[in-house]
Amino acid sequence: MLIPSTAISVGEPCEHGAVPVIETERLTKSYGSARGIDDVTITVEAGEVFGFLGPNGAGKTTTIRTLLDLLHPTSGSARIFGLDSRRESVAIRARLGNLPGDFGYGKGASGREALSLLARLRGMNDVGRAEALAKRFRANLDRPLGELSRGNRQKVGLILATFHEPELLILDEPTSGLDPLMQEEFLTLVGEERERGCAIFISSHELDEVERVCGRVGIVRAGRLIAVERIAELLGKAKRRVRLELVEPADLAELRMLPGVSELKVEGRHASFLIGGDLDQAIKAIARHHVTDVEIAHPTLEEVFLTYYEEGGAG
Amino acid sequence: MRHLVATHLHDRRRSVLVWGLALGLWSAFIVSIFPSIEDALSKATEGYPPALKEAFGVSELANVEQYLQAEMLSLIVPLALGYMAVRAVASGLSGAAESGRLDVLLSAPVSRRSLAAASFVATAVELVLVLAVTVAFTALGSALSGAGLSFGSAVAGFANVWPLALLFAGFGVVGTGWSLRTSVVTGSVAGVLASMYVIDLIGRLDSGLSGVRYVSVFKYYGTAIEDGIAPFAFGGVAIAAVVFAALGAWLFDRRDL
Repeated sequence: MLIPSTAISVGEPCEHGAVPVIETERLTKSYGSARGIDDVTITVEAGEVFGFLGPNGAGKTTTIRTLLDLLHPTSGSARIFGLDSRRESVAIRARLGNLPGDFGYGKGASGREALSLLARLRGMNDVGRAEALAKRFRANLDRPLGELSRGNRQKVGLILATFHEPELLILDEPTSGLDPLMQEEFLTLVGEERERGCAIFISSHELDEVERVCGRVGIVRAGRLIAVERIAELLGKAKRRVRLELVEPADLAELRMLPGVSELKVEGRHASFLIGGDLDQAIKAIARHHVTDVEIAHPTLEEVFLTYYEEGGAG
Repeated sequence: MRHLVATHLHDRRRSVLVWGLALGLWSAFIVSIFPSIEDALSKATEGYPPALKEAFGVSELANVEQYLQAEMLSLIVPLALGYMAVRAVASGLSGAAESGRLDVLLSAPVSRRSLAAASFVATAVELVLVLAVTVAFTALGSALSGAGLSFGSAVAGFANVWPLALLFAGFGVVGTGWSLRTSVVTGSVAGVLASMYVIDLIGRLDSGLSGVRYVSVFKYYGTAIEDGIAPFAFGGVAIAAVVFAALGAWLFDRRDL
């Protein structure tokens, strides 16, 4: 993925003490014997960009559809803007924008027709922002959606979700189908929306994008929320791979004794190991040898995610 | 809700033209050939068994109104428009769910009940438009052929189909509370439509089974082209359609999407 030329501030909440934008309490949705989501409790504050991570089938879309009152919870509750997601869903939807996971609107209708209806339903006459977004994302609002590629349909969906400047954006796999340049533009837009004060709930398995724009993430596994962490803390928990090149082969067995060190491999002058937590003791142990090169790989969010996923819920 | 109704009608504009033209042209053809076959028809119907004539509402084919009733209004138009009404409602709800449109619409501040109501109201308007096109072509066919069809009778005959077809739209809304697959909703309600017709037919053919006709809406349909619209039957069926649509909207509101 391309690195953006302008830094995107990571989404931390900008208001404190206010009513949470999203607040779920042991939210559960079952489909008979099939699993949906189980006891999901999360809070998203105004101005926060919250990532919701998990593999396909983990329960991300079920959570979103329950928040939007498309699915009715089996038990538990969800409040958005302090309003009950079930009883006050119409009032809630007046204030949010939603990009469904697989955006569609029928084959024959154009994006402009969809935009026109949504604007009227929202009581808006001015769709200037939608036109500006269409220009920015190079989206064709006039062609029937059935004739557009998935990525181009996704652009239209993104415009429909954001044109009315909502207070909350719920985006389910928002960059699927977008080319790298448009993904960049999308991440920039997310940053702008967050600056505007909009809370953003992003479901994704594009871990790189979540790492760049989200302040906190929730990791969902088999329908259960197994962790909610700030990105920095999450990255700090991850094991980093350290690779060493020494002047001559050396006995590095002492590294094995250090807390957090695993998978130590020594092959001649080269060694590598995984380390979690504080690096200080390992660095000092390494420093007793003549080191010509050292590489400490920064963990990707994917590695962090896999750590949680394999362990079945740390933190 | 008017925006939703207007959009539904805009989406269904081709359907209005197709159904209106198909039924209108066929009806115009039926009317226009009447003068040339009038004598032969009278003789032919004399030989029909009385029960058969009763079953198909053909007491006589002495005038163009009776001929239009027998050829169009007793079977083709009610079945066709009943089916069209279900298709229209199902496309507005189940079809919208299948295409993803429902998710987009329900991102806006509209309730599910409004969506269901809009789909039903739009279907009611669509039926009026199709019937209007059909009547217009029928009247044109009569005028061109000199068949002498009474315009008022034609309007009454075709208008009488409206509550009947609307009832199946109401059933369609109920169907969407049960399934979000257009084919399932359309197929099921079309089955009910055909079954009701057959039940009514059996009840008319066999006087011993006439009681079964009460479960069929066709019992209340009558022959408005000859007798005028029966207000209680017309209003009763229309009210039943609204009641079923309300029930369907309630079910639609309660279901998962």
